[in-house]
Amino acid sequence: MSTASVSFRHVWKKFRYGEVHNSLRDLLPALGRRLLHGRSQAAHDLQSGDFWAVRDVSFEVRPGEAIGIIGPNGAGKSTVLKLLTRIVRPTRGGCTVRGRIGALIELSAGFHPDLTGRENIFLQGSIMGMHRGEIATKFDEIVAFAGIPDFIDTPVKRYSTGMHARLGFAIAAHLDPDVLIIDEVLAVGDAAFQQKAFGRIADMRRQQVPLVVVSHQLDRIAQLCTKAILLNRGRVVHSGTAAETIAAYVNTTSSTADAIASDSATRIESMFVNAPGEVPSGGTITVTITGTVRPNWTGTRESVVLRVSSVETGAMVFSTDTALNGMPLPHAGPFTLEVDLQLNVPANVYTIQSLVLDTLTSREVFPGPNAQVNVGAGIAFTGSVQMNPRLRLEEGARAGAAGSSASPVA
Amino acid sequence: MTPAAVSAAEDSAFEVTPEDEAQPTYVEDLREAATELWHFREMLYQLTLRDVRIRYKQAVIGFGWALLMPALIVLSGCLVRYAMTRKSGAPLDLAGIASISVKALPWSFFVGTISFSTQSLTGNLQLVSKVYFPRAVLPLAATLGQAFDAAIGALVLVLVLPFLDVHLSMALLWVPVLALLLFLLTVAASLFLSCANLFFRDVKYIVQVMLTFGIFFTPVFFEPEMMGRRLAALIMLNPLSPLLEGLRLAVVQQHDLLVPLIGPDGLVVWSPLYLVYAALWAILGLAASAMIFHRSEFVFAEYI
Repeated sequence: MSTASVSFRHVWKKFRYGEVHNSLRDLLPALGRRLLHGRSQAAHDLQSGDFWAVRDVSFEVRPGEAIGIIGPNGAGKSTVLKLLTRIVRPTRGGCTVRGRIGALIELSAGFHPDLTGRENIFLQGSIMGMHRGEIATKFDEIVAFAGIPDFIDTPVKRYSTGMHARLGFAIAAHLDPDVLIIDEVLAVGDAAFQQKAFGRIADMRRQQVPLVVVSHQLDRIAQLCTKAILLNRGRVVHSGTAAETIAAYVNTTSSTADAIASDSATRIESMFVNAPGEVPSGGTITVTITGTVRPNWTGTRESVVLRVSSVETGAMVFSTDTALNGMPLPHAGPFTLEVDLQLNVPANVYTIQSLVLDTLTSREVFPGPNAQVNVGAGIAFTGSVQMNPRLRLEEGARAGAAGSSASPVA
Repeated sequence: MTPAAVSAAEDSAFEVTPEDEAQPTYVEDLREAATELWHFREMLYQLTLRDVRIRYKQAVIGFGWALLMPALIVLSGCLVRYAMTRKSGAPLDLAGIASISVKALPWSFFVGTISFSTQSLTGNLQLVSKVYFPRAVLPLAATLGQAFDAAIGALVLVLVLPFLDVHLSMALLWVPVLALLLFLLTVAASLFLSCANLFFRDVKYIVQVMLTFGIFFTPVFFEPEMMGRRLAALIMLNPLSPLLEGLRLAVVQQHDLLVPLIGPDGLVVWSPLYLVYAALWAILGLAASAMIFHRSEFVFAEYI
């Protein structure tokens, strides 16, 4: 056996769609079927209604290492954490964790609203595996960390959401685990508390506590993790350093996910963003899109859309399109669209996504390429996300435009 | 888990085996379940404390709760017995009231525990689906919380019994033995029913019905020998019956349970075999339900 603190070896996990028989009435037919068909086949093959939530996932974390697990919703990240924390068992493969697991997952699952903060600290601490003496010695530290000394003898039901979450985090953060598992809890409380919470985790990281982090806050993953894996539909689709994996994720995000490449008349061939390195906040970029419209009557109702979303949260911050700006696409033939966007957004990493929308049905009929823009600190951000788009549409192929295409996903 | 890993208490390294690999033996399984439970004894204590605290917080009658249920059972028992004596002519004496009181307390403990623990897993969905711990902690905490109430009831009973003409005797030494057997039997039922209710949600309705009508099939208001030879034997098949009857005979009749007791009409009121029968139910039942519980607890989070 290796010296790894956490090791996942070719783990598969099968789940079931929909309801399992949850009343005795359904049990009898199920037992009958089992008698008829035997149960030997059950463990390894997918039967109707089953799906693999995790397929052949392997990774290791050694002391001093930190692994980030990223991927879109439903990729299997939470299932991996549940396998790690022993809440569910793998269908195939092996999973080993050495020592006490500290799970910053469901921070206040054990809280009882009628009990006071003090009583809940002891209750929640014991659920996480701490003993009374241990909790008692850390009690003052926990209360100070949560910043609720005046409310410690108040029932938790009278706490604000923030106090509730802070107390939960404070208890979990004082567990002194051998392995720390974190699931989307870095966004607890206000900015000051988040900073404190992040500092606490970074401290543990410096103490060589192996870390497993699941988060959509990619910048946090980049800061904390030595390596990362990208999951999609239960599979590891990329594995490498945190930076590489994040880049791989950002480049595949949204374009492959739900867009349906159907019989759209309009196709986007390339997208080019004139954003060398970092663009200061408030600066203007020009996005150049080339495409063709096939001779087809639906072309007139299609529109080229640009969406800008935050890589960190996945939330769309701005969108503009040709139809909205009164620029119908040509009936047939190639076209070039130039869009000037003023980046009135806070410093961060953004994805610019191009796509074709059927304006009649509001369906996305063609996924275009994506690009990434780093927005750095610049002039004071004014608050409203208005990118003052200026669109120029030209019919016909433009010499040079197609050649300069530098989109990462083209 | 290998025995080596079990002995290394603090380094709780674990190896999750796939569901279809060779099953460990029963003894290994039970030992693993017990070790896990021991590691989480603090959680068991805190959960019990939680259950007790919230029952008495913001509740008007406070600790009176612990007495209300047994007191109501005694009252209804006296009423039923009074009706019966009106017909038969034999008056309801102090010993009769003492008998009902002695049996009402364990019965209310059993009923209270089963109705709380049956829903202890499904009622803590957040915990079961999000946090790892030996799941047996939940029904056990429900049982211990009720045991706390029963202890208060027992304290009051000790104060009341002298007024019902019950005196100290050596036979009282049987009380802890019977109480232990009752506790084990109740834990066995709690584990099994909480687990069954997690998979099949109609279990709790069946349990409710059984608990409502169970008092007619358990000798609380009456003594089995009132029913005649055949019915008495049937009623003593209920594993609770020997325990309740044993308590009554030991406390009220000051009867040594190692000695058989034959009624005036030749009917067997008590035989030491009854005790063996109840003990077998308690011990084998606990072993079996602990096994079922432990083997299925790994899929609780998926089925809840």
